[in-house]
Amino acid sequence: MPGFRVLLVDDETIFTKNMSKLLKNRGYTVTSANSGDAAIRELEQNPVDVIVLDLKMPGMDGITTLKEIMKLGLFTETLILTGHGSIDSALEAMKLGAYDYLTKPCEIDELVAKIESAWGKKQGGL
Amino acid sequence: MVKEPHSAHNGSDVPDIAAERKATYSRLFWRFVWLTILCSLAPLLLVGWGINLHYSQFARERMLDFFQTQVEDHRKDIERFLKEHTSKLQLIARTHEREQLIEPGALQNVFDLFNQDVRALTDLSVIGEDGFHLAYAGPYDLWSRNYSKEFWFTQVMQKGIYVSDMFMGFRKEPHFIIAVLHHEGDSKWILRATINTEVFRSLVENVRIGKTGQAYLLNAEGIYQTSPRLSGAIMEKSTYPMGPYHEGPQVRTLDGLKDAQGRERPRQIACQAWLHDPRWLLVVKQDYDEAFADVSYANTWTLVFLHLSAASILVVTVLVTRHMITSIKRRDAEADRLNQQLLQAGKLASIGELSAGVAHEINNPLAIILTERQLLLDAARQAPIADPEFQEQFADSMSQIDVQVQRCKRITHNLLRFSRRTQSVIEKVDLNAFLREVVELMEREARTGGIKFFSELDASLPPVLSDPSQLQQVFLNLITNAIDAHDGKPYGSVRITTQSNPDRRMATVKVADAGSGIRPEHLNRIFDPFFTTKPVGKGTGLGLSICFSIIKRLGGSIAVHSELEKGTEFTIGLPFLPPKELQDSLAKKEPLKPAA
Repeated sequence: MPGFRVLLVDDETIFTKNMSKLLKNRGYTVTSANSGDAAIRELEQNPVDVIVLDLKMPGMDGITTLKEIMKLGLFTETLILTGHGSIDSALEAMKLGAYDYLTKPCEIDELVAKIESAWGKKQGGL
Repeated sequence: MVKEPHSAHNGSDVPDIAAERKATYSRLFWRFVWLTILCSLAPLLLVGWGINLHYSQFARERMLDFFQTQVEDHRKDIERFLKEHTSKLQLIARTHEREQLIEPGALQNVFDLFNQDVRALTDLSVIGEDGFHLAYAGPYDLWSRNYSKEFWFTQVMQKGIYVSDMFMGFRKEPHFIIAVLHHEGDSKWILRATINTEVFRSLVENVRIGKTGQAYLLNAEGIYQTSPRLSGAIMEKSTYPMGPYHEGPQVRTLDGLKDAQGRERPRQIACQAWLHDPRWLLVVKQDYDEAFADVSYANTWTLVFLHLSAASILVVTVLVTRHMITSIKRRDAEADRLNQQLLQAGKLASIGELSAGVAHEINNPLAIILTERQLLLDAARQAPIADPEFQEQFADSMSQIDVQVQRCKRITHNLLRFSRRTQSVIEKVDLNAFLREVVELMEREARTGGIKFFSELDASLPPVLSDPSQLQQVFLNLITNAIDAHDGKPYGSVRITTQSNPDRRMATVKVADAGSGIRPEHLNRIFDPFFTTKPVGKGTGLGLSICFSIIKRLGGSIAVHSELEKGTEFTIGLPFLPPKELQDSLAKKEPLKPAA
């Protein structure tokens, strides 16, 4: 059972709600944020192991949010979830330090696999 | 390949535009031609005609001046001849006494001296005041004749000197005489000379007047005093319209003049001059056409050269204009082609942006649907459905939701691929080897449809620097279309050709099929996104527009030629080197290695 903490950042509240439930069903501790600002605030209070970050959000977008997260210097891995149209941004995000990227719509199993491998990398880096 | 729909539309615009173009070119052609005529031919002809007219007028005036001078000089010559002979007779009369002259042989001596150089006199007589001969030197037997009743006799007795008109006299042949009266004491005698008619005639005719020309003398009544060369005879009445006496020479143009036989003469030009004593009219005339033949000749040739020059200018104008119009047509066609491509590129760009946005927006709800499905599946796993029928329905629905979401995903991903501006990966590509691989990939699928592949690959084709993954997509799309074009046919063929085009630094790849062809009204729409004639669910209508945008991005060109029921050929031109902007964008990341 994984049991580690995942933060979902997406402006689609239904998506984060559903995804939280699915991940919780699979044994993760999940928190969610509906904007970049909210994500930073959440991270400042409760650090997590893996962040799943949407790139296209109103207000602070995914790339800026990622830069802010990197500034926090947290011991965490970030997965980028993109609507595919912003695939160049996804590649840019990886250069900024994101672990991997997924395109929407994605299967839960696929997401879980990536989260696991991000977690694995984080553990390997310990 | 685009398949035939049953509804035809929009097909009538094409010939209208072509006809309008044709009319425009024709108008342009005639405008240029008329403009050249107006600007070069018209002034040339006006100046040419003007100079010609002026020159002929001038030449005619000069000729007439010369004619008049000649006739006036000639008149003076004739008068001088008559005066000279009159003076000679007077001299003899004054220096000789009657007795001296009537001595046998004396008059003959004088006569011989007179005719020493020219036989100007026919005879010479000394006549007494009674009208009888006192002495005679000449060939005629006139000794017994009495002249006292003759007209000339009375005239000379009155005037002292008399030059007669032509008359027949006792000798019954035309002649004229010069007579002088001399007083000797109380008595008078006359020295009379008959002028040799032939000598006089040759004097009168001694003027240069061409083939149709003649010179003669008329007395005041219009009777010929010398025989004209061509028509009429001495002592006959002339038809020449004399008019009143005038000083100096006078030029006249004679129309419709008839000769003695009543035949109409062609138009003539005549110069006349009156002698003072006797009152004879010297007429020199010539056919008008002959008189002005030189001027007319010069005139004709000037006009011939002028019109030949004008004609050659016209011919050159027409040829040059035709050449120009052909160039314009070619340029227009080129511009049309570029415009079409620009339009297509612009259309694709805007549709690309729009579809990227739409696809992205649809991906989010799709993601939610997938999560909802997963939640239901999770829930069903935790609390299994009791009713087996419902369970079955549930499983079916879940599976169908997944299938349909995946279908949507495929569509949106296609849309995004069409529009995305991903980084190209430029590599050295051996197009021949590359196409062989693509054909191998497709051959298996094609074989079941009875379609054969033929390749004509140019072995000298150098490798191109391009993006192999994008090229693969282009050729896969084109070959898929080529196979689909044979839908409904039991067999078919796809021909792939490569050619090196070193002049344009391009490689040419042709993909041709023997399928159903594309309707003309569809030809200009096949590169539009979402345009398809394939059955619903089979094509997205994006294949060719993806090809178009990829080939554009790689700096190449794509063209299509299609004939209904015969097949379609796509021609792709790929530059040996990618376009500069693509090189520049790559150079920022990693320097590009040139092709070997």
